[in-house]
Amino acid sequence: MAYKYLGKSYIRPDAINKVTGKAVFLDDIRLPGMLHAAILRPKYAHARILSIDTSEAEKCPGVVKVVTGKGCTYRYGDNIRDLVPMAIDKVRHIGEPVAAVIADTPRHAYAALDKIKVEYDPLPVYIDARQAMSEDAVLIHEELGEYWHLPTLNPKPGTNIANVYHLKKGRGEEGFEEADVIIEGEFNYPFGSCAALEPHGSIVWFKEDRTIEIWSSSICPFIIRDDIAHSYGVPVSDVRVHIPDIGGCFGYKSDITVEQTIAWIASFVPGRPVKWVASRKEDITSTLLAHGIRTVMKIGAKRDGKLVALKTTVYHSGGAYSDTAVNVTIAATHNSTGPYEFEHCDLTGYTVYTNTPPVGAFRGYGHPEPQFATERMMDMLARKLNMDPFELRRKNYLREGSTNSLGERMWKSNGDMQACAERVQQIVFGKPKEKQEDDQFYYGRGFAALMKSPKGAPFSTKGCYMKMNIDGSVSVNMGGAEVGQGLRTVVRQIAAEALKIPPEKVRCYNEIDTQFSPYEWQTIGSMFTMQGGRAIVRAAEKLIQGLKKTAAQVLRTDEDYLEYDGEYVYLRSDPSIRVPVTQLARGYITDNGITIGDLAQSVADARLPRYSNPDQNGQGNLGVTYTFGAQAAEIRIEKKTGRIYVDHFASVFDVGQVINPIQIRGTVLGGVLMGLGAALYEEVKFDEEGRILNPHYFQYHIPTYKEAPQQTIEFIETPDPIGAFGARGIGEHPVIGVPPAILNAIYDAIGVDFYEIPVTPEKIKQALEARTEKEYA
Amino acid sequence: MTEKISFTINGEYRSVEIDEEMMVIDVIRDVLDLTGTKRGCDNATCGTCVIVMNGKAVKSCNTPASKMQGANILTIEGLAKGMELHPIQKAIAESGAVQCGFCTPGIVMELHALLESKPDASETELSNALNKHLCRCTGYEPIRDGALIAQQLIRERMTEKA
Repeated sequence: MAYKYLGKSYIRPDAINKVTGKAVFLDDIRLPGMLHAAILRPKYAHARILSIDTSEAEKCPGVVKVVTGKGCTYRYGDNIRDLVPMAIDKVRHIGEPVAAVIADTPRHAYAALDKIKVEYDPLPVYIDARQAMSEDAVLIHEELGEYWHLPTLNPKPGTNIANVYHLKKGRGEEGFEEADVIIEGEFNYPFGSCAALEPHGSIVWFKEDRTIEIWSSSICPFIIRDDIAHSYGVPVSDVRVHIPDIGGCFGYKSDITVEQTIAWIASFVPGRPVKWVASRKEDITSTLLAHGIRTVMKIGAKRDGKLVALKTTVYHSGGAYSDTAVNVTIAATHNSTGPYEFEHCDLTGYTVYTNTPPVGAFRGYGHPEPQFATERMMDMLARKLNMDPFELRRKNYLREGSTNSLGERMWKSNGDMQACAERVQQIVFGKPKEKQEDDQFYYGRGFAALMKSPKGAPFSTKGCYMKMNIDGSVSVNMGGAEVGQGLRTVVRQIAAEALKIPPEKVRCYNEIDTQFSPYEWQTIGSMFTMQGGRAIVRAAEKLIQGLKKTAAQVLRTDEDYLEYDGEYVYLRSDPSIRVPVTQLARGYITDNGITIGDLAQSVADARLPRYSNPDQNGQGNLGVTYTFGAQAAEIRIEKKTGRIYVDHFASVFDVGQVINPIQIRGTVLGGVLMGLGAALYEEVKFDEEGRILNPHYFQYHIPTYKEAPQQTIEFIETPDPIGAFGARGIGEHPVIGVPPAILNAIYDAIGVDFYEIPVTPEKIKQALEARTEKEYA
Repeated sequence: MTEKISFTINGEYRSVEIDEEMMVIDVIRDVLDLTGTKRGCDNATCGTCVIVMNGKAVKSCNTPASKMQGANILTIEGLAKGMELHPIQKAIAESGAVQCGFCTPGIVMELHALLESKPDASETELSNALNKHLCRCTGYEPIRDGALIAQQLIRERMTEKA
């Protein structure tokens, strides 16, 4: 469909502030009387705290206060209330706050940190879920049975299992009786870090008027507001949270994380704002980690390739506090089907307490990890069936009329998986491979299909406030956090389209402030364009209706006889009878000054329609909307070094409607590179004592300029019935298919199956040597 | 131990007192409140803190503040002339190279040091310069596009002047 302002590349409204250095990020905020905090981290990843001596630190220059967790009586969390702002009598991971120094400068605060003396009694350390699940494992949370949790969760007190989620579709595991062929595999998606360029940070200010004011580089201001209000026993309206520009998120700035710690620290110096910004090391060792997911998968199929049964067990090493991991596990479990229909499913997900920093959201939210397994297994199954892998997939794609694991029926409007796959196949596999190897390299091509739904929640709505000004320009205010994804541009274009005015006349909010911004649950799940966009369309419709209502009085007619074109409200039967919107914005002022009608303003919100909690089978309307896509890699493996070069990467997604071509391409470019990092370089490594071995960029390597492949990116547009103007989510999806596509390409190049990432040059060299030995044996 | 140093920054002459352990970034961000220069890591890896000092791109996080004595320094705040953006800023804003924008100031300054002294820089020189900067958002392609447009704009500006 042709739109006036959609499908065009407008420049993002925040680009100018960002190229001039005027964008304000958390660390750029300076407040009068502001103090600085430095946080002490433990020597052990799991230990009882025997004593803390802060006396020497208190005497250091510039020190205002030294804080410990002593006296903290509350726990917090959105899903399982298992978190403490600062260790009380026990540390559970290597990045846990043990004490903090508040001083006049960061330098003074850090200098005093060394003077705090802590005595510990070390406990056994568990890094992997299965270690922590062993029967003789020491409990990381003895109090698990006492924690408040969402009614949909199922913790196992007396064990380290924070939650078990189980889904049964059809006959469950019995469905394998119908299979002719069964394959099994175990896959590992190790710990990672979102590693956004801007480290996480917060400022908290307990004010004398008993309000609490907070600034944070977070995407969930309303969760922070509600949670802090609950912990400190003040009305929610007395907590005000500001979100400045955010220097990248990719997941780990969602949910409440560091804010509660900084609030605890700041509560000891009421009247003074306290700032804390993570060092890079702290950003990796003390904020949320990613992944840590092992997927054990069994697939049963008919001889003709028809998939019949899937059994998945997800072992999620959730870290020391599982509040942020439980929903990732659930998403990983029911989305482990990938974009395929299985008649019978037996899917289990364990979220397990371990002694790592808490694991939480990472771009893809539980989809990249199990679908890495699914997409590798599809290639393996095709080999076992001696079938073309494209044909095998095509036979089983979710399409109109099929049902997914959750029991949700798929409609044509959910998008066209097969069309995405066919297009990628054409782009990358359209011509025969030029060569298998030469003196220097092996060559390979690999494919992966994918799907993603948001991970919603019952209250995951997004609000929109809209007001028209006296010159006909419009201000749009929303609670969506701009982390770089370009949602302000999207707001502008959707509002322009809905209001029939040029985007230049739409100005959208800069910072979020819970005192003035409409409610939004969190800006997560690739939902802003579709859900926020729907809220904008609804607000625009209401605003136009309001203009018509006032105009009906002015023109002395009925509202339903009126039309609106962005400049005028006019009589449909005689457009010369009209009133300009500029005369309606503040109500209509008649000749003698008597004013009639309402202000041209509106409020609306939108959520996923009929999103529900899971039923007793773990099924239900938990996905609601899906984006399908296909990706493929063309790689070279250097024989001498084992290094993998990704020469070309192709992605095609059915996004419903492209809003802004340059931005959506940017989203995919960046997402693919992030997936490439996971496939080839990135892993947060622990030693046996639970210490992180690579907490810096020079050790935790994220892809650089020269490692970026050439990319082909295309979109299919099957309009979505929920999203504004047919648009659906795309933010996270580009990451999902990258590791399996690359690992499938590695098999194509050297005939070796890898089951875990990252595939480093050392692993390739080992595999090549083992292959050679086998040949000569 | 404090020391007094003087330098020119963004065309303004400034004189400040520094501690001996201070780095250039501390003076820029914390003494002069020029917060456009960013801190993204602990050990000079990410490139977000790059500024131009005596015409060269310098990592301000590991350059001792004493080196500022007598220097001519340019930060991201010093590029635009009033409302008129520098060609590099314009190109980077328009090419899609800005997403979260946290790496942007460092990259703009890196390109400034390169292209203002060498408008004919080869693609390899550009790529070597950009390879010193981490970006987690864009996949780098739009940054390359922006750099090439900027180079074009700077060349055109020189032709106009000539």
